[in-house]
Amino acid sequence: MQTHIISLLVEDHPGVLTRMSGMFTQRGINITSLTVSPCEKEGLSRMTVAIKGSESELEKVRKQISNLIEVVKVVDLSEREAIVRDLCLMKVHVKDSEARSEVMQLAESYGAKIVDAVLDAVTLELTEEPERIDRFVDLMRHFGVKQLFRTGVTAIGIGGGLER
Amino acid sequence: MKLSGAEIVVEELKTEGVEVAFGIPGGVLLDLYDVLYKEEAIRHILMRHEQCAAHAADGYARVSGKAGVCIATSGPGATNLVTGLTNANMDSSAVVALTGQVPTSVIGTNAFQEASTFTITMPITKHNFLVKRTEDLPKVIHNAFYIANTGRKGVVLVDLPKDILAGVADVDLHPKETFAGYKPNIKPNQVQIKRVVEILARAERPLILAGGGVISADATTELQRLAEFLAAPVVTTLMGKGAIPENHPFCLGMAGMHGQVYANRAINECDALLALGTRFSDRTTGWQLDQFAPDATLIHVDIDTAEINKNMPVDIPIVGDVKLALLEILKLLAKKSAKKSGSEWEKRIKKMHEACDSCVEEIPREGASVSDILIKELSKILDDDAIVTTEVGQCQMFAAHYYMTRKPRTFISSGGLGTMGFGFPAAIGAKVAAPDKKVVDIAGDGSFLMTCQDLATCVENDIQVVVCIFDNRYLGMVRQWQELFYEKKYAQTGLGITPDFVKLAEAFGCYAERVEKPEELKDALNSAFESGKPAVLDMIVGKEDKVLPMIPPGGGIIGMIGTERCKHI
Repeated sequence: MQTHIISLLVEDHPGVLTRMSGMFTQRGINITSLTVSPCEKEGLSRMTVAIKGSESELEKVRKQISNLIEVVKVVDLSEREAIVRDLCLMKVHVKDSEARSEVMQLAESYGAKIVDAVLDAVTLELTEEPERIDRFVDLMRHFGVKQLFRTGVTAIGIGGGLER
Repeated sequence: MKLSGAEIVVEELKTEGVEVAFGIPGGVLLDLYDVLYKEEAIRHILMRHEQCAAHAADGYARVSGKAGVCIATSGPGATNLVTGLTNANMDSSAVVALTGQVPTSVIGTNAFQEASTFTITMPITKHNFLVKRTEDLPKVIHNAFYIANTGRKGVVLVDLPKDILAGVADVDLHPKETFAGYKPNIKPNQVQIKRVVEILARAERPLILAGGGVISADATTELQRLAEFLAAPVVTTLMGKGAIPENHPFCLGMAGMHGQVYANRAINECDALLALGTRFSDRTTGWQLDQFAPDATLIHVDIDTAEINKNMPVDIPIVGDVKLALLEILKLLAKKSAKKSGSEWEKRIKKMHEACDSCVEEIPREGASVSDILIKELSKILDDDAIVTTEVGQCQMFAAHYYMTRKPRTFISSGGLGTMGFGFPAAIGAKVAAPDKKVVDIAGDGSFLMTCQDLATCVENDIQVVVCIFDNRYLGMVRQWQELFYEKKYAQTGLGITPDFVKLAEAFGCYAERVEKPEELKDALNSAFESGKPAVLDMIVGKEDKVLPMIPPGGGIIGMIGTERCKHI
C-alpha cells in the first residue's frame, strides 16, 4: 500500500475535521498523519492528510470528501511533484561528553538544530522530508531517544502556479 | 429587523415556501412552537413518533418535489429522527430537519435531554448545522434548504439551542447563499454528450436503465422521448419505478434482485447501456458483475461525481443533471434519423415482454401466491394517479415486481436503507402533499407494527391513508431466506397471533376490514375509500408465500431462481 498525501482547502468551521475524518473512518482507513492550519485566505484552513491505501479506495474517498459542503478544494499531492516536509522535535540521551559531541556532529550533518541542552540530554529540531527524518531518528536511537514529537507532513506543489 | 430566533426560523421557512411541517414539540422547542401557534401559513402536523415525522417529511418530499420539513426536540426527539433521516438521505430525498438543543451554556455537560445531535447526524445527512448565534439563523435556514434541494438532493439538519431560539437579534431576512466549495449545478460535458450520441445512434441493442435520479430531476418526459426515438427498451431500478409508465411498450419494468426476468436478460444482452441517475446498487446489479452488460458500452449519467466508478466501472461518465443531459442528447440525436422499428433486438424484447405479460395476466396461474394476486388486483383497482407506498420486505418486493406504476412520484419505497415501518408514515406525508389522490400503503404485518401508532395522527388530522396489510404473521422476507437457504429453520421470524389488526385500527377510530380472499379486495378497498376515514385492510395471505423469481445471494442477473413459472424464457 502506498502513502498518499491529500491537501484540502476547507472552510474554517467547527466540525469540518470530524466530517473529513469520518469519511476515512467509514471505510476503515487509518490516517497516518494530519496537519491543520490557517492558510493564505481568510476563513479557510488547509489540511494535509497522509493515508495508506489502495488507489481505487482512495479515489472513492477523495470524491466523497470533495462532496462535503465545507470542502473547497481537494488536491492529490502524491499525483504531482510536491515539496513535503515534516517537523521533528526529539530529546536524545547523551551519557557523556563523547556522546554529546557525536550527537551534535550528526545533527549538524543532517541540518538539525540544537534547541535545548542539559547535562544528560540534548533537544534537537529537524524540518525535513519524512523519510530523512526517519533515518535521523533511527540514528539517534543508538544514543537513546527519550521523547519524540513529529508534526506530521505538510506539503505544497512545486512551481509557481496554484493547485488546480 | 429585530426578531427572536424562533421568529426568524418561521419567517425563513415561509420564505422557502414551507407549507407543512411534521413534528413533535419539547422543552427546548417551546419558543419555536409559541411562534408556530400563531402562524397560519404553516400547517403543523403532530406526529406520534419522531421517526414517523422524518418518514412523513420524506414521503412528502418524494411526492411533491419540494423539501419536506420535520421537527423534533433535543435528546431522544433527535435520536428518534435518526432512522428516518438516514432513510431519506440514502434515497436522495430532500428533507430539512429542525431539532431543539439544550442552551449553548450547557452543551457538553450531559444536561437533561442532551444528545450531540450535530455529531450523531453528521454521517447520515448531506450537511448539518449547529447554530451558535441568533443572527446566523437567516443564513443557516436558507442554506439548509438550498443544500437539501440542489445537486444530489439530501437531508440537512439544523440543531437549534434553546437560547438561540429565545434570543433576539437585529437581522436582514432572506439572505443569499454563499459557499466557496459547493457548486451543485453541473452542466454535462459536451464532448462526452457527443460521444454518447454516437454510441447510441450506432448501437444495435441499446438499453436504458433509469434510476431514481430521473424522477427527482423531473426528466421522465425526456426519458420517454429518448426511448421512443431510439426504439430502446427501458428497465428501472426500484427507485426508478415510475420514471416511465410500466404499461409503455418499451418499459420492461424493474431489473435486479427481484426484478423481471426479461429486464435482467435485456441488461445481459444489450450492446449499449445508458444508466441514468442510478448508483448501481447490488440489489440492481446482482453480485456477478461479469453478467451485467458484459458486451455493452456502459454510459453513466449522474449528478454526483462520487457515484462515477464507485460500484460499477463505466466507459463514459457524464456528471450532471439527468434532465439537462437528456435534453442535450435529444438535441444532437434529432439531427440523425430515428431508429426504424423491426430490429432483431426489438423483436427479441417484444417476444420476452409478451411472454412475461401473458404470465402476469394469468390469474390464478400455477404457482401464483395470494400476495401476487393481491398486488395485481391493486394495480387494476387503483387509478393511474393513486400513490402507493410500501413497507420493507416481501410486501415491498411483491409490489415492486407486480404493481404497475404509471406515473412518476406515485411509487414511494425505502430503497437504500430498507426501513421497516417506512411506508405508513411516508403515506401520511404523501397524502398531505397530494390530498386529492388516493394513497395506499402496501404493508407487511411486521413492518406496520413498527410505526402503527401514527394511526392516531391520521385520525386526528383527517389524513385518509389506506393501509393494506399483507398479513402472514411472519417476518416474511427473512423467513423466505430461511426456507431457501437455511433449511427451513424459522429462527425468530414467526410473529404469533397478536394483534387483531381490525380491532387495533378500530381502537384508533379507523375504518377496518379483514380481507380473506383476493376477490374481496375490490369491495373492501372501495368501502375503505368511501368511509372517508383512515383505513386498515387486514389481508390474509399465504403464510409461506414467496417472492420469486429472485437472484440468490452471491448470484448474477441471469442466475435467477424460481423461474420455473417463467417457462416462456
